[in-house]
Amino acid sequence: MTYLYAFLFAGAVCLIGQVILDNTKLTPGHVTSLFVIVGAFLDIFNIYDKFVLWAGGGALVPITSFGHLLIHGALDKAQEYGIMGLAMGMFDLTASGITAAIIIAFFITLIFKPKN
Amino acid sequence: MTFKYNHVYLNASSTVVGPNENQGPLKDFFDKKFSDFYAGEKSWEQAEIKMMATSINILLHKLKKAPSSIDLLIAGDLLDQIAPSSFVAANLKIPFLGIYSACATMAEAMIIGSNMLEAKQINNIICATSSHNLSAEKQFRYPSEYGAPKPKTATFTATGGAAAYLSRVKNHIKIESATIGKVIDLGQKDANHTGAAMAPAAADTIYTHFKNLKRNINHYDLILTGDLGLYGKEILINYLKEEYQIDIEKKYNDCGIMLYDLDKQNVGAGASGPVSSALVTFGYIIKQMTKKKFKKVLLVATGALFSPTFLFQSKTIPAVAHAIDLEVVE
Repeated sequence: MTYLYAFLFAGAVCLIGQVILDNTKLTPGHVTSLFVIVGAFLDIFNIYDKFVLWAGGGALVPITSFGHLLIHGALDKAQEYGIMGLAMGMFDLTASGITAAIIIAFFITLIFKPKN
Repeated sequence: MTFKYNHVYLNASSTVVGPNENQGPLKDFFDKKFSDFYAGEKSWEQAEIKMMATSINILLHKLKKAPSSIDLLIAGDLLDQIAPSSFVAANLKIPFLGIYSACATMAEAMIIGSNMLEAKQINNIICATSSHNLSAEKQFRYPSEYGAPKPKTATFTATGGAAAYLSRVKNHIKIESATIGKVIDLGQKDANHTGAAMAPAAADTIYTHFKNLKRNINHYDLILTGDLGLYGKEILINYLKEEYQIDIEKKYNDCGIMLYDLDKQNVGAGASGPVSSALVTFGYIIKQMTKKKFKKVLLVATGALFSPTFLFQSKTIPAVAHAIDLEVVE
C-alpha cells in the first residue's frame, strides 16, 4: 500500500504545483520556494513526519521534504544547544542531499553536454 | 517619425538557421542550415557568433565583394553587451555600429542605414542580426537544463543569423519608407507573454505610418509583424480595430507564426528573437516579392525591451516597433 500512498502524495504535490503554474503568474522558482516553506511549516506538531511514515518516498522526494528537513534539523539541535543550535542544525539533515546533488552534477557535466 | 526614401535598394540578403527552423514550413528558403545548436562550436554563445558571421560571409559571397569594400556594418543581437555582434565585427574590420532594440534590431539597423544612404553619407551598408534559442533562454529566462515548464503564451527564440545589403544601386526591391516607433509601456510584466507587451507598440507604429504617409490598408499587399506570436497577433488585430479603427486582419500575418509549424513543433506561441522577422522577411517574403506575389509589404518589427534585472524589481516591459516599407520596383 505504501506504493499507492507514495503515488497519491507526490502526485498531489505535483498537481498543486501545476494548478498554480497554469492559473497564476508565479514562476517555477516561486512554486519551488513556496513548497519549501509549506514543508517547513508542516514540521509543526510533526505533521510532515506523519506523511513520511504514511507515504514513504512519496513524501521524501518532493521539495516539500527539503523544507521539512531544514526545520527538523534546526529544532533538533536547538534542543541540545539552545538558540545557537538553530543555526548549527539547519543544514544537518539536508547536507547529504545537497552534497550528493553537487557531486553528481559535477560528474554528469564531465560526461554529458546539453543538446537542446 | 516617418521617412520617405527615393534611392535606397535592398540588393541582397542571406539567412542561416538552426535545427528547429530547419524543420519548419519555410525550411526550403534558407541559405544555410545547422543541424544542431552548437554549429561545431564549444558553446551556444559561440555558435551564435558563427551563425551571424556565416550569414555575412554568404552575403559577401553572393555580392562577390570583400569586407573592405563595405562602408558600414550595423548589427545587434540579444546577448549582454551585444557581444556576438562585436566579435563578428572584430573579424570583418568594417566600420561598425552596434545597436539594441531586441527583436526590432534588424529594422532599426535598416532604418539607420537607409537614412545614411539617402543622405549619401555612405555608399553601401550591411545590416546583420542573430539570436540563439539556448543562449537567450539562459540569459532571459531559465537555463534550459533546469527544465522549467512554460505557459502557452511564451514564445520560442529563433536560432540563426541574417544579413542584408543595402545601397543606392538599383534593384528590384526598394526601401520605400520607414517609421521609427515610440516606446510604449502599458504596464505588462509577464516575460512569458511578450506578445501582449509588443502589440500596442506595433499598433501605434502602424497607425503613425499610415497617418504620416496618408495611406490605408488598401495600399499594401501584406502587413507583417515581427514576433507577436499567436496571442499577440489576436491582441493586435483587436487593439487596432478598437483604438484606431484600422482593420488589418485580411492582409496581416506575423513572422513568429510563419517560421514554425505551431501544431507539430513544440514552440509555444511561435518564434521570437531578432532573427525571427529577418529570417521570414529575407528567406521567404523577399523571394515572394521577386516573383511579384507581394508588391508592397509593410514590415513592422516588434521588440520587447525587457531586462531580467528590472523584471525582478517588479518593473514593466517597455516595447517598441519600427516599420519598413518594402516595395517591388516596376
